[in-house]
Amino acid sequence: MELLDLSFFTSAIRMISPILLAALGGALCARVGIFNVGLEGLILAGAFSAIVGNYYSGSVLVAVLVGALGSVLVSLLFGLAAIRFKANPIVAGIAINFLVLGLTTFGLRAIFDVKGAFYDKNMEGLPKIDIPVIEGIPVIGKLLSGHSPLVYVAFLAAILLYIFFYRTVVGFRVLAVGKNEAAARSLGLKVTILQYGAIVGCGILCGLAGAQLSLGQVTMFTEGMTAGRGFIALVAMMLGQSHPIGIVGSSLLFGLMDALSIRLQGFSMPTQFTAMLPYVITIFAMFFLKDRGADSQLSGQQSSR
Amino acid sequence: MTYRLEMKEMSKKYGEFLANDAISVQLKKGEVLAIVGENGAGKTTLMRMLYGLEQPTSGEIKLNGKTVKFSGPLDAIEHGIGMVHQHFMLFSDFTVTENIVIGHEPKRNGFFNRKEAVEKVKELSEQYNIYVNPLKKTGDCSIGEQQRIEILKVLYQGADIIILDEPTAVLTPLEVQELLKIIEFLAQQGKSIILITHKLPEVMKVADQITVLRNGRVTGNVLKQNTDVEQLATMMVGRELQKLTDRIQLDSLPLLVIDNVTIGAKDAKPILDHLSLTVNRGEIVGIAGVSGNGQSELIQAISGLRKIDSGSVTLGDKTLTGKSVAYRRNAGLAHIPEDRYLWGAAKEATVEETGLMGYYRKKNLNQSSFIRLKPFRKLVSAWIDTFEIKTSSLDEKSGNLSGGNLQKLIVARELGFETDFLIAAEPTRGVDIGAMEYIHEAIIEKRNNGDGILLVSSELTEILTLSDRIAVMYEGKIVDILDRKDATEERLSVLMAGGNENESSTKTTTTA
Amino acid sequence: MNLQRKLQQLLSSMVQPLTAVLIGLLTGAVAISIVGASVIETYKVMWDGAFGNFYFITATLARATPIIFIGLGLAIAFRAGVFNMGAEGQMVLGAVSAALAALYVPGPGIIKILVALAAGFLAGGLWSLLAGWMETRFKVQLLISTLLLNYVAVLFAGYLVSHPFQDKSGSAALAQTTMLNQAAWLPKLFPGMSVNLGFVIAIVFAIILFIILRFTSAGYEVRMLGYNPFFAEYGGINKIKVLLYSMFSSGGIAGLAGTVEVLGSQYRYVEGSLTVPGYAWTGLMAALLANSNPLGTAVAAILLAALQTGAMGMERNTEVPLEIASVIQGVLILFVTAKITINWWKVKKKGGDIHGAA
Repeated sequence: MELLDLSFFTSAIRMISPILLAALGGALCARVGIFNVGLEGLILAGAFSAIVGNYYSGSVLVAVLVGALGSVLVSLLFGLAAIRFKANPIVAGIAINFLVLGLTTFGLRAIFDVKGAFYDKNMEGLPKIDIPVIEGIPVIGKLLSGHSPLVYVAFLAAILLYIFFYRTVVGFRVLAVGKNEAAARSLGLKVTILQYGAIVGCGILCGLAGAQLSLGQVTMFTEGMTAGRGFIALVAMMLGQSHPIGIVGSSLLFGLMDALSIRLQGFSMPTQFTAMLPYVITIFAMFFLKDRGADSQLSGQQSSR
Repeated sequence: MTYRLEMKEMSKKYGEFLANDAISVQLKKGEVLAIVGENGAGKTTLMRMLYGLEQPTSGEIKLNGKTVKFSGPLDAIEHGIGMVHQHFMLFSDFTVTENIVIGHEPKRNGFFNRKEAVEKVKELSEQYNIYVNPLKKTGDCSIGEQQRIEILKVLYQGADIIILDEPTAVLTPLEVQELLKIIEFLAQQGKSIILITHKLPEVMKVADQITVLRNGRVTGNVLKQNTDVEQLATMMVGRELQKLTDRIQLDSLPLLVIDNVTIGAKDAKPILDHLSLTVNRGEIVGIAGVSGNGQSELIQAISGLRKIDSGSVTLGDKTLTGKSVAYRRNAGLAHIPEDRYLWGAAKEATVEETGLMGYYRKKNLNQSSFIRLKPFRKLVSAWIDTFEIKTSSLDEKSGNLSGGNLQKLIVARELGFETDFLIAAEPTRGVDIGAMEYIHEAIIEKRNNGDGILLVSSELTEILTLSDRIAVMYEGKIVDILDRKDATEERLSVLMAGGNENESSTKTTTTA
Repeated sequence: MNLQRKLQQLLSSMVQPLTAVLIGLLTGAVAISIVGASVIETYKVMWDGAFGNFYFITATLARATPIIFIGLGLAIAFRAGVFNMGAEGQMVLGAVSAALAALYVPGPGIIKILVALAAGFLAGGLWSLLAGWMETRFKVQLLISTLLLNYVAVLFAGYLVSHPFQDKSGSAALAQTTMLNQAAWLPKLFPGMSVNLGFVIAIVFAIILFIILRFTSAGYEVRMLGYNPFFAEYGGINKIKVLLYSMFSSGGIAGLAGTVEVLGSQYRYVEGSLTVPGYAWTGLMAALLANSNPLGTAVAAILLAALQTGAMGMERNTEVPLEIASVIQGVLILFVTAKITINWWKVKKKGGDIHGAA
């Protein structure tokens, strides 16, 4: 097996999509001034809800929608805590992560009466889409075609988010709220509505990320299956400076490094350093990047500045 | 005749405090009205009611004859009232155009039509002779440019009445001239302008009508041609007889020397402009001036909370320039801060802990890094007795104390250091009469003991009661220093408002 | 009279966290009944799981040990006003440093232990100090840098025990160091029970920290910096110095969490053994629950540990999965943070009115 063969890149692209989706969701929140540490919980909620939806409806489409819905409900809880009750968003995010971890495991027991994982061979996962013309193209064809629909949705979402932020009026106002909430209020912008809207949007994206996890490769839900991806998404968001295109880049970086680490295991080389690379890069980037999205405004800490 | 704007008998009460007392104002189309007064006179409160940020306790607002009530700023904006705040509400990352059109963006199917926005901004710019670069990033714009953006913003929103809140506070003299030209042109175009300020020379240049506020009431309403700076200054400050106490004559040895200090960027207006001042031992030097003319920054420069760009500060034989706050305090500096909640205390800390600041390092209260709380508690209890600080216990949270009581605690703490030099900034703000007299006596006693005190206060009466010499600050400079015997309210208020004091001030005015 | 007031204040400060605990338990009750078990039975089993007999009590205390350390470390950071999110990384670096020190430092057991403790403290402290330095010197936000450094630390420690320092003695290739020489083990407190001397050290640290914060100049400076950095600067406190040594101590104590686990419980560093149980997050919750009071943090840590061991008991004896602890913890923290800010917001509003209007 070669190190960097085609299957490597295809699996990398597949692994990127949940991170990309969640990072985009996180960027929405960050741009409106809320640092959402609860992405992990939101993705997990989506993954679980998607499996539940699939089981009861038999339709993959419904499953994905239910996945999004599940995540949106949790994100509304987060929004309520952070916006209405002015809880520290970081603590609230951490609480959400714990809560969802516990609830989904509970759900496994309560709904499916299993422990550890739920798998039903009758459930269909997301189909692999073969794009007619493109799949014919020699190398790139194999790369671009044949993925689950949510993979394409992820990249589409990045483009849509870019258009949203920089071409629409509502997106413009969302950015304004994150940059200077006081000024936005003085202008009469509907700050609270925009914030809740961003949170719901984040919920939808994370829900899709979760659906990709539980339906995209093997149709199954495992306890805690997000395995830290929510935090990787957070870091990808930071490295990408909460900019949709930047996030595509940083997610690609993470996805590649992730896939590389797994490949390297086959060569018994220390994988930790490749796994570390994206984080080290992000740290260095922090020295130079001034505009870290809206994180700087609302991470809520004092400092000696 | 129907005025464009009429505010009738507007009153605003905050708890027991009457911020505005039956203020009436009339404004015509194309007229420039200046509302002048010192800090705390009630100007900002009045404007907040006009802009919908506050609801009046009583009174009514009439626009073109019709009574209106504003539920919030958005409401006021829709009625054609625009406010250019003293502290700009701009998004520094957005372009000039984006800042102007935000909230009413030209759009097509939800998409932001930035091209059209730029066109509109250019049109507006030409219509009112207010020039800006539509594509520039706002953060890169000069202060003057940013202000023009704020003005264009309210014009874009359709304002017929434009309120400018202390607009020249941050402008260079050149930028001030440009602003005044803009105001004149806008008035010619039929807009009504309300100018809130304490800078009388500018008022005399551009205003048609002037309303003077003092302590929440109107003390005068005149037309520009019927008045001058001295008269306005007197109306701003009022006349009160002062009881001049005798002082012990002491030898004056310089204690605190501020030499040619400048704080400020090159292109913007300097915050402190080559300022020099000496405070001698056994002397109280009072700095008179309306807040915002550099007093805060001067205090910060002396106490070590802010770096200076050039010049030096010396205390006795020690150079303070470039040294830490701790060093300066050890060198013999104590500081009653002007904002007790921001600098002087921590709301969550107990009374004891707030009082402890600075003392915890002292040798007699510190044993190998352990704070000896018992002797310190005795000290604080003594303060509570002498200053009659109302607190339920030493463990009460400082934030629960009333403002006046917290101030007394801070004053007691800083006096207790028994330093050679004391900065007293607004030392009796919010304090009751009895305590005020006690604090004043304590400060005079300190002076008689040979210590030097720099008093900064926006209360002229306080300055006149306590100071041996009075320095007036205006726009980052010391415009004059008067001896105690030569200082009168009229002379000081004229200097504070930017006028050149004349010899004669024989005008008498009736105060409303 | 003074004592009465002190008791009153203590009780009122406990109202919020206790209410949150109550709501957490109520939520747990709802979840339990959904699964179809009896609430009272299940909670009884939970209690037994945590405190039912001596064995379980000591198990709870043993689990609490690293949580107490992390909670204390975070309490210092929070008191100074900074959000140190790097406790996990600091703990892991402390653990691996201590393990390596204990393995390779020559000399009698006591020397090994002392050097290991010092190494663990230093490793965690320096790692934390790194983030603090980046904040003060380069304005890189602590919250973000500590989060990122966690990954670097955990991955690096993982590398150390999968390659250079891997335990090659057994047949399986495990990511762990060789076992420590018995001389370097922290003794168990009771024969056959899992709780070790580390627990005592933790409690001692809690007391020391409480005393330092309350009664020394250093503690005063830290607290005032956290309450109001402007006030601190105005009074002559060197904000940078205090921030840096707070970060160092915070990380050092987190490092001790890992050290004590290695020396007293596992006797080697095993990759994942410190991260999987979620000690760092639980420690964070303990500090938040106790509002960063060192003694309260220790109590809260034991409480949370009891919740977790009790849940394990539930798992063993009932149909209820142990993740119920996560649910209760999540709800608990959500309510603690929301309530805390409601109150504090009310006080802020009041303070604004005291100022008066312009």
